[in-house]
Amino acid sequence: MNLSRARIGERLIEAFIFLSGWSAIFGMAAITLFLLREAAPVVPRIDWHEFFTSTRWIPAPARGNEPHYGALALIVGTLTTTLVAMLVAVPTGLAAAVYISEFAGRRAREFFKVTIELLAAVPSVVWGFIGLMLVGPVVSEVTGAPLGTNLLTGGLVLGLMSAPVIVSIAEDALRAVPDSYREAALALGASRWELVHRVLFPAARNGLLAACLLGLGRAVGETMAVLLATGHANQIPHSLVDPVRTLTAAIAAELGEAPRGGDHYRALFVLGVVLLVFTFALNLAAELVVKGVRRRGRS
Amino acid sequence: MGLAKPQHIALLFAAVLAGCPPGRPGKHTLSIKGSDTLVQVATGWAERYAVVEPRVAVDASGGGSGVGLAGLIEGTVDVATSSREIKPREREAIRQGRGLEVHELFVGSDALAIFVHRDNPLTALSLFQLGELWAEDGTLTDWSQLTPALRGKVVLIGRQNSSGTYDYFREVVCGVGADGHGREFRGGVSELSGSSEVLEKIAGAPLALGYSGMGYRTDRVKWLGVSGKPGEAAVLPSAEGARTGDYPIARKLYVYTAGEPTPQLRAFLAWVSSDEGQEIVAREGYVPVR
Repeated sequence: MNLSRARIGERLIEAFIFLSGWSAIFGMAAITLFLLREAAPVVPRIDWHEFFTSTRWIPAPARGNEPHYGALALIVGTLTTTLVAMLVAVPTGLAAAVYISEFAGRRAREFFKVTIELLAAVPSVVWGFIGLMLVGPVVSEVTGAPLGTNLLTGGLVLGLMSAPVIVSIAEDALRAVPDSYREAALALGASRWELVHRVLFPAARNGLLAACLLGLGRAVGETMAVLLATGHANQIPHSLVDPVRTLTAAIAAELGEAPRGGDHYRALFVLGVVLLVFTFALNLAAELVVKGVRRRGRS
Repeated sequence: MGLAKPQHIALLFAAVLAGCPPGRPGKHTLSIKGSDTLVQVATGWAERYAVVEPRVAVDASGGGSGVGLAGLIEGTVDVATSSREIKPREREAIRQGRGLEVHELFVGSDALAIFVHRDNPLTALSLFQLGELWAEDGTLTDWSQLTPALRGKVVLIGRQNSSGTYDYFREVVCGVGADGHGREFRGGVSELSGSSEVLEKIAGAPLALGYSGMGYRTDRVKWLGVSGKPGEAAVLPSAEGARTGDYPIARKLYVYTAGEPTPQLRAFLAWVSSDEGQEIVAREGYVPVR
């Protein structure tokens, strides 16, 4: 009796786990299909050469003009802010993870972990305000930029947002390296730096890469914070302190106004598809890199 | 760590699906949405009307003239406020989508002021100079081209393309190019989502130049006089100038409804045009109809 009940429970749990696993695939497929369906009708009407080479994003043109959908500046805006963010977040994030995992005492580690998880949970609109009110004025004071909201400010805020994600996952990855590795390295006379650099990093590389990628994902997809902190100007930046506009900010700012089913509305979905392709390509690249590293490691 | 209970999430979904919480019986709700320029006016109307007619609740929000009119097209709002005239294709979309005719009510005028930083030595610009500053093919990009007392790139601060202010400013200031087509804004304008955000940004940027409704003026920025043609005297924004048309960047403000109004809506629209409704228009810095 007890046994069969336990078995039924087990079955249910099994089914639940099975469905949960597949739900990720279903969700992904549904999102892709939805994006493609909304974007499809405008595809033949978009001048694709213009889309990728022009910065003229004029979805609501002046009277008598045709709309233009040149997304180059938006794509460059997303790439540059993400790049700045990663330049900030990856070194600091990994360094912090190494410190917490390898150097901090037990109580300090607990304290840091809790704090960083709290930091990761700060809503993005709050980060946007921090960018607007704190980071922006400092950036314009230090660099002499005419506007506090620009590429650098946006990148810094995104970096600050991504770093906790990177720290949290990278720290887990480092912790997961068996202590026997550490003992063996130290026994062979490795310094602590050599231990981190030559033993822990290679051993935890998949987890560390995953940490960086999740941080990157947060930076690419972030919307509210960049909308507030980048200055929202449709141009290719010529310096680190020029205002820019990202794909996500353009979608967020314009979707509410674009009449449902119109060309402008659908063009915004095309931007969404571009964003999806970006993140997909990033993940694929990372997957291949990890596999490559693994294969080379084996031979 | 308290996770939200599933029942709560279900309730939330139900509330979202229903569109609004169930109102008290007998209480009629009017939703009014649209122009950010008019959002303070609309909110003012909503607050005062709650006292005048307690049986009707007015729910006012902004988002841009295009947002309000899109709501009217979709049938999600009762009244759309707009700082521009409705476009023929929007009128047509309501006729085809909902089978309803659009009704227009003129509720006031707005003068768009050109704002600069408080320390900017400039006092006036002509419409032509503004066009050269803002249009895609314009020739003015540096303050030194306008005044010997200031150097540096002009930092343009504007509104985002969902706002009626954006449309109207482009139409008046960029005008029509040599090829007979309307000129577009140049790239690189910081496009912000709210009028006060524009003022806030200009207050902190000595090289900035931006536009916004004159009702949003703060003492941390200054506005410029505008002359219609080079050589003509520049006119500072004022209620009087907007009404008479002496100030060159002034426009009319409208509210739009679709189809025959319900009695509650008809009463509200009549009240908006009354002295009490118009007083709120004036209080927000705009020019009343009468």
